[in-house]
Order: sequence, then C-alpha cells, then structure tokens
Amino acid sequence: MHYQRVTRNPQPATRNSQLATRNAQLTTHNPQPATRNPQPDMNIIEIENLSHRFNDGTIGIKDINLGIREGSLVVIVGHNGSGKTTLLRHLNGLLLPSEGVVRLVGVPVEEDLLKARQFVGMMFQDADSQIVGETVYEDVAFGPENLCLERGEVKKRVEKALHVVGLQRLADQRPHLLSGGEKRRLAIAGILSMEPRVIVFDEPFSSLDYPGVKQVLQHILTLNQSGQTIVVATHDPEKIIAHTDRLIIMQAGEIVRDGAPVDIVCDLEAFGVRKPCNCRLGLEAESWQN
Amino acid sequence: MAELTSFSYTAGDSLLHRLDARFKIAFVIFISLVGLNAYLWGLGFLTLLLLGIILWTRLPLFSGLKEIRYFLILLLLIFAARVLATDGIPLIDFDYITVSMQGIYNGILVCWRLSLIVMLGFAFISTTPPATIKAAVQWFLKPVPLIPEKKVAVMMGLILRFLPVIFNQAGATAAALKARAVENRKNPLYRLTKFGFPLMRRIFERADDLVIALEARAFTEHRTDPELAASKRDWIALTVVCCLCISLSVM
Repeated sequence: MHYQRVTRNPQPATRNSQLATRNAQLTTHNPQPATRNPQPDMNIIEIENLSHRFNDGTIGIKDINLGIREGSLVVIVGHNGSGKTTLLRHLNGLLLPSEGVVRLVGVPVEEDLLKARQFVGMMFQDADSQIVGETVYEDVAFGPENLCLERGEVKKRVEKALHVVGLQRLADQRPHLLSGGEKRRLAIAGILSMEPRVIVFDEPFSSLDYPGVKQVLQHILTLNQSGQTIVVATHDPEKIIAHTDRLIIMQAGEIVRDGAPVDIVCDLEAFGVRKPCNCRLGLEAESWQN
Repeated sequence: MAELTSFSYTAGDSLLHRLDARFKIAFVIFISLVGLNAYLWGLGFLTLLLLGIILWTRLPLFSGLKEIRYFLILLLLIFAARVLATDGIPLIDFDYITVSMQGIYNGILVCWRLSLIVMLGFAFISTTPPATIKAAVQWFLKPVPLIPEKKVAVMMGLILRFLPVIFNQAGATAAALKARAVENRKNPLYRLTKFGFPLMRRIFERADDLVIALEARAFTEHRTDPELAASKRDWIALTVVCCLCISLSVM
C-alpha cells in the first residue's frame, strides 16, 4: 500500500492573497490572553495519565498521555464511542479527570476553569446546540460578554470574527435560519471572538455538504496557518488528513497509535476507521480544497 | 421553523426599529391599558393607527397572522363564550342557547382588545432585537429587590433561543411517527404517549447540550452590561404616546 502525505496544498494566486488578508486579521492576538506560553518550546497542552470514569462506572478514557505543540494541527480519529469527545472535553474543563492531569502551558485546567475555557475554544459536533444567541451578532458576542469585556471591545471582536468567517452581512439574521455550513462558521466566529490559543473541533464535517466541508476546512487551515493550535476529532479523516502531520488513533478510550499519517494510516481500518479513498487506491492523499 | 420566522425580530431601519427598547416596552404597556378600557371608536382608531404603522414599517403582517392562527381559534372560543354567557335582548333563542345583541357586542369588544394587544406585541417583537429586549427587562428589574435581574434576562434569552429548538424537535418527532403510520392508530392517548415521551427526552437532551455549550463559552451571570441609550426621538415618541393615551382615556 502506497501512501504519501502531500505537502501543504499549493494555493492559486488569488486564494493566496485572500489567505494573506485573513491571516493578517487572525494574527492580531488578544492583548490580554488567558495565559502566555512562558517557554516557547513547551507543549501548549500536556496530558498526563488522564483517565475518566463516568458516574455509571463506564470508562470513558484511560491512561492518556499526550503533548500538543503550539501551532500544530493534530487529528484524532476513532470510531463512535472510542473516547474522542470525552478526551476533548477535558481540554477546557467541561469534564474533569478521574485520574491524571491536563495542563495548558503548564497550568492545570482545574486551577482556573474560566481561563481554560477562554484558552481552549471548542466547536461541537452539533453546531445547533452551540448557538445560544437569538441573532448571529448576539451569538458571537456571547463569549466576549461572559469575559466582561468593555462594550467597545465586544463590538470590535464580534465584527472581526464575523468578517473572518464571512458572515458580517448576516449579523442580524436568526441563527436557526442559517444553512449547515453557515452554522458551523457561526460557531467558529463564536469561538474566535473569545480569542483562544487552541481551537478544538469535534466532528467538524459531519452532516455538511461538499461546499460546506470546503468552507469549514478552509477556515480550519487558515486558522492553523495563522499560528493557531488546532485539534480535530473525527471518525472520517479523509477530509483533513492531507493537511496534518500528526494523526492519533483512539480505541476504547485509549490512544493506540500516534504518529505521522504516512506511518500509521494503513492501520486505520484495524481500529474501525475507514482509510481515505486515495490511500485505498494507493494514491497520495488529496486535499478536499482542490 | 417557518412557523416562527415572522413572529420574531426582523432587521430594519424604521423609526420603530430605532426607538429604545425601554420606551417601546412602556408604549406597549400604556397602549394595552388604554386598549383594554377602550370601546369601539377608540379601538378602531388604535387599530387603524397600529395597522398603518405596521404596514409603513413593512413588517410581515400577513405571515404573522398565519403564525398565530391557533390564537385566532382561542379568540373564537372566547367570542362564543361571551356571546353565550351575556344576557340581553335575544336575537336567537334555541333550547338553552340564547344569543343576544349585547353578547355579540361584548364578544367583539373582548376579542378586538386582545387582538390589539397581540398586534402591539407583534410590532414590538418584530422591531426589537432580543438582546435589547433582555437589556430593557434587566434595566426595569434592576431597582426591584430580591430579583436577580441579570439571571432573569439570561433566562429570557435562553427561552427565546430554545423555542425554535422545541418546535424543530416536535416537527421531527411528528414526521418520524407519521413515517411509521401512526395515523392508523386512532387512540389519541396512544398517539400522545408516543409523541410526548420521545419529544420530552429529546428536549432534555438538547437542553443538556445547551448547558455544555454555555459552559464552553465561559458563561457567567456577571457579564458585560447591555448598552441602552435614550435619544431625543424616544422622548418625543413618549410624549406623543402619552398624549394619545390620555386623549383616548378621556374620550
């Protein structure tokens, strides 16, 4: 089986200029970030011996050890119920460990949950459940308002986030009238307005049509290219595998493989995850942006 | 979700849209109170005025009416109750059923008053963003002791947010039951059980999801305060509405 990871997708000149503009918008970091990484070489997320047992005794995840470097794009794959979502929810303290610890730039998550939630933005599998505002603007403003920012700063952040995801013209629209792809973009805007250092996407492509997948993928890549750390959990790595240099496979709450896609992609089907189509045909992984 | 789309905020730049939400709430209260005590001429004048404003503002009045069709059934029942329960000179006398002129007059009056309030609500909701409604409610509740105004405002917002979710879930559950020929079962209790329990379960699941989403976005009661600003335009409108209400009360 031949499989080679492609280098980053070469962009046409016009797209390059669009990306450059968006990158410039995104690289303006929060003037008062949750925490600054004191040691640039350190992992931005450090997970040690993490286990989670639910109230009914079911083990969600077991003995997870993981380090994620700042600016990386990490893809976590596994079949349904393999523990991906449980793991992701520990990153911002939505779930707290039964054993072990999750550190964000060296600081345990449970020490300051509010900062952890600002630090790690999370996009859920069902974008509908993430939308809490009655209008697009109001929804994006929800996070900054929770951070008790000045009204002017809230407005600035909302306008910037809406511009980045291209929803500024729909600011007064009711969110439940948006299309699936627009709802995902709104969810991304809601996260961006909180200016997190890490963004976690839980099944970002589920139930999306092809244009929707391309739009969301474009946003993920643009964010990553601007230096944002991205963690994507999916049961279908096909749509993003061409863009990552680290693939983690989970099964039964444990990490069973962790490495470069080129090295471990052939093991996917042994763990209940379908191999990308091109890989099955012995071809290079191809970007869904093409 | 088409059922809810007209009876909610519609973006625009009309005078109604630009008025401060606190003033608009006051107008709704004043005009409702006057309307509840008005008779045919006063109600006619208020209705024409309100219809004129709604049409001038280009609000989707007819789709709004369509969405409140079940309320119209309620009005019909109220009308029937009034007609049958009011004594007077009988127009129709059949066994125990007596319809009088006074009853019809009373029924029309009550239904007209209620319809006027619904129209006011429609004009208010359609021209006021939910965020500013919340802000205005918070502002009104602030001086009231023992009421956590911020919590009330957030709860209001969540209810508004959650209504479309409930309707969506109800639609999906009803469609799933129809797809499995539930219409062949004539027992309404059976149908209600098969509809109600899954719907409640789904709604609670969605409520759980919503709570997690709120936590993920650092939800707290101590949030940035909403922005409200009264302008000269609002005070002029208040003066006009007060004069109107006083004139109609005196009439």
